[in-house]
Amino acid sequence: MAAVQQTVDQVRRIDVDQYKYGFETNIESVKAPKGLDERIVAFISEKKGEPAWMLEWRLEAFRRWKTMTEPTWANVRYPKIDFQDLYYYAAPKSTEGPKSLDEVDPELLRTYERLGIPLREREILAGVKGARVAVDAVFDSVSVVTTFKDELAKAGVIFCSISEAVRNHPELVKKYLGSVVPQSDNFYASLNSAVFSDGSFVYVPEGVRCPMELSTYFRINEKQTGQFERTLIIADKGAYVSYLEGCTAPMRDEHQLHAAVVELIALDNAEIKYSTVQNWYPGDKDGKGGIYNFVTKRGDCRGRNSKISWTQVETGSAITWKYPSCILRGDGSRGEFYSIAVSNGHQQVDSGTKMVHLGSNTSSRIISKGIAAGYSQNTYRGLVSAHRKAKNTRNFTNCDSLLIGDKCGAHTVPYIEAKNASSHFEHEATTSKISDDKLFYCMQRGLTEEEAVALIVNGFVRDVLQQLPMEFMAETQKLIGISLEGSVG
Amino acid sequence: MTVAVTRTKAEQALSQNFEAVAAKLPGGEDVTQARKTAIGAFAALGLPHRRIEEWKYTDLRSALKEAFPAAVADDTGVTAAQIDAALEDLAGLDAHRMVFVNGVHRPQLSSVSGVKGLKVSPLGAALAETTDGLVRAAVPGQDAVIALNTAFMTDGALLQVADRTELAKPLLLVFARAGEAARLVTTRNIIRMGRGARATIIEAYVTLSGAVAGQTNALSEVVVGDRAHLMHTKVSLEGGAATHLASWIATLGADAGYRAFHLTAATGLARNHVAVAFKGEGAKLDISGAVLGRGGEHVDTTLFVDHAVPGCESRELFKSVLAERARGVFQGKVIVRPDAQKSDGKQMAQALMLSEEAEFDSKPELEIYADDVVCGHGSTAAEIDADLLFYLRARGIPLHDARAMLIESFIGEAIDKVEAEAVRGALSGIAKRRLVDLSA
Repeated sequence: MAAVQQTVDQVRRIDVDQYKYGFETNIESVKAPKGLDERIVAFISEKKGEPAWMLEWRLEAFRRWKTMTEPTWANVRYPKIDFQDLYYYAAPKSTEGPKSLDEVDPELLRTYERLGIPLREREILAGVKGARVAVDAVFDSVSVVTTFKDELAKAGVIFCSISEAVRNHPELVKKYLGSVVPQSDNFYASLNSAVFSDGSFVYVPEGVRCPMELSTYFRINEKQTGQFERTLIIADKGAYVSYLEGCTAPMRDEHQLHAAVVELIALDNAEIKYSTVQNWYPGDKDGKGGIYNFVTKRGDCRGRNSKISWTQVETGSAITWKYPSCILRGDGSRGEFYSIAVSNGHQQVDSGTKMVHLGSNTSSRIISKGIAAGYSQNTYRGLVSAHRKAKNTRNFTNCDSLLIGDKCGAHTVPYIEAKNASSHFEHEATTSKISDDKLFYCMQRGLTEEEAVALIVNGFVRDVLQQLPMEFMAETQKLIGISLEGSVG
Repeated sequence: MTVAVTRTKAEQALSQNFEAVAAKLPGGEDVTQARKTAIGAFAALGLPHRRIEEWKYTDLRSALKEAFPAAVADDTGVTAAQIDAALEDLAGLDAHRMVFVNGVHRPQLSSVSGVKGLKVSPLGAALAETTDGLVRAAVPGQDAVIALNTAFMTDGALLQVADRTELAKPLLLVFARAGEAARLVTTRNIIRMGRGARATIIEAYVTLSGAVAGQTNALSEVVVGDRAHLMHTKVSLEGGAATHLASWIATLGADAGYRAFHLTAATGLARNHVAVAFKGEGAKLDISGAVLGRGGEHVDTTLFVDHAVPGCESRELFKSVLAERARGVFQGKVIVRPDAQKSDGKQMAQALMLSEEAEFDSKPELEIYADDVVCGHGSTAAEIDADLLFYLRARGIPLHDARAMLIESFIGEAIDKVEAEAVRGALSGIAKRRLVDLSA
């Protein structure tokens, strides 16, 4: 197969060693000592100036975590993590709270520049499309810059770091934190609950349509620091918010742990759109290094006719273990999951979603596109369930996998649980390589083999790409381009 | 795990029951040894429970409240007429018949001797004479149900179809349950299809009128030789109180064809486990089934298809009609090994839910390590389509009839997979009789 050989050659040529964003920024940082015990939890809490109730909440999570064991059911292989050999807190020293971007460490800004996040050009960017993006940039563990805060405040939207929220809006944090992903939810979520460093907090008040897209960039920079973001987004009755999250991380030799928790809460008639582009360091061509991405993301459609939509583009990380889910509690609520998971080199992806239908007339839609190349393993794992009392629920699931090269694997593990008759569940999945017929058809019309493959792959992921917000689409296409260029031509 | 696990009453009873009957079970020294190893493995494993992924939806540990004493050397009086009555439409089938009552072969009710190209003997007798290779598939591994089968098996059919021989008539293996005592009946069939051989084999599990249903553990080990073709059907009608645990383990040679079909109705708790491995290129596999569940019945179909070699084709179609509080479970795993290029796998599991209390749990699973493959699966669960009902009623068909027609056509799609016309007819008859109640 000429096409396959060519593909394989190309993968070799622009192998993952040339990870575009692999660089390291040298900024002095403050670290907690290695290891984890109650003192470290207290240290983190104290560093962040948290009230006593927050510390107690963390300690409760930590006590639960100690009784738990690591999950092993996912289709991923990695050496055992020594949780006592990690740093649980690292903060850049210059965190006095800059009033404007000018006060920010120029080295930091340069890092973002190389990542292609034009913080400085944000107004220009915004001007072009008539839409604006508020960026809450997380550099390692502490939120450094929050932009557009004033404008958001005018609309009544609270958009700040979670540590700020703990200090300034304790009533909201107390009410909602852990209400979707409880402290004892799973091994990594409990760990996160105990040691979470920072993350974003969003509250959109009743009837408010958030005037701009909210965006956060996460970076892991300090050596051997796990990063434990905690994101909490609440859309009150009739509110709408679209949140974008993008990630890149520098090159590393040792594996790094990333265990984030994201909680979304949508009340009556509210809508939350959460989009992720994840491009962390996937390890080198031999599978050495790379990020372990063990994330718990869950949305709770708590109110009637509420809607939560997850869109994810996963191209990075050595190991991805991630299942953005929707609990469809309110009658008439809707959950959506759109995913593109690209794996290359020695990457392992075990990702999918859960749609738990508890309310009547709830509906959900799952579109998952997996592309496996190189030596990677790409698994879709999903659950769709309808409770006995959830009448007239609807689900449509479509998972397609594309295999490029004969050393990779694509797997599909759906769980479908229908507990009443009026629920209509449809699931379909296919796995194949790019068909010779399609290639022939395109090439017959004058495209080169490379172009033909690119065109077909573009078509393959189109359903999901279209779900991304406009501002993100260009960036994503670029990112997929980089990932796919090497693997499929 | 070194954690001491408390054994349930049923688990303890199974081990004790084995001690009670061990001396009476057929087989020479090495069979006895294999049985001991197997019961030892079971003692370590215990009954499968929902924490074991393959048993996620069928928690045998909690479902099996008690273990009935094992049936050995049974001699309950049974007539051919009683068997015919229990077989329903299958009774009229022109077939060679081999009958087992409570797990023991009944030659006087059977008619399999002298069939050209077919070497047949009851497994019980065979185990006593020569054990060469007969307990090969007995390797229990992590499967407690297979371990129990090896430990307790009393009898079954040992069949060898000679190379290039086609059996003109189907072979009907009847496993009947008689008598008023609830017992554990454990049987094993070993079916070997020579090169180029063709046959139709039907296993029927029935409970005679007036008899008490019990627990069944039935295993069939199937070897389909190169270019051979086997149509293998199973009908389970053991009664609402019965527990039916079946394991089919098959290997397929090059260019072989294997069509397996299950009709499961009127069974309290059924677990049908079918594991097929391709050993030669160009083989074709079709596993299908129809499930009719009602009351509190629980029917679990668990498939494992192993595309270990290139160029093989697998098809699965399972249709479940679930009424009242019935629960259907479908787990279908298709694995395509590295280098098993040109594999073609398609799977479909559909459930028609007739009651708000019915439940269908489906887990179609693909694990693919080769790139030049075409694999897909689908799964649906829904009630009867209101538009279709309206269409029929608009043409003057009463509601009840319209429902019956739609259910029948739904299940018929699966039954159509049975190639032999006479067998298909008999199965349709059995299914239809039960659908009349369901569509009410």
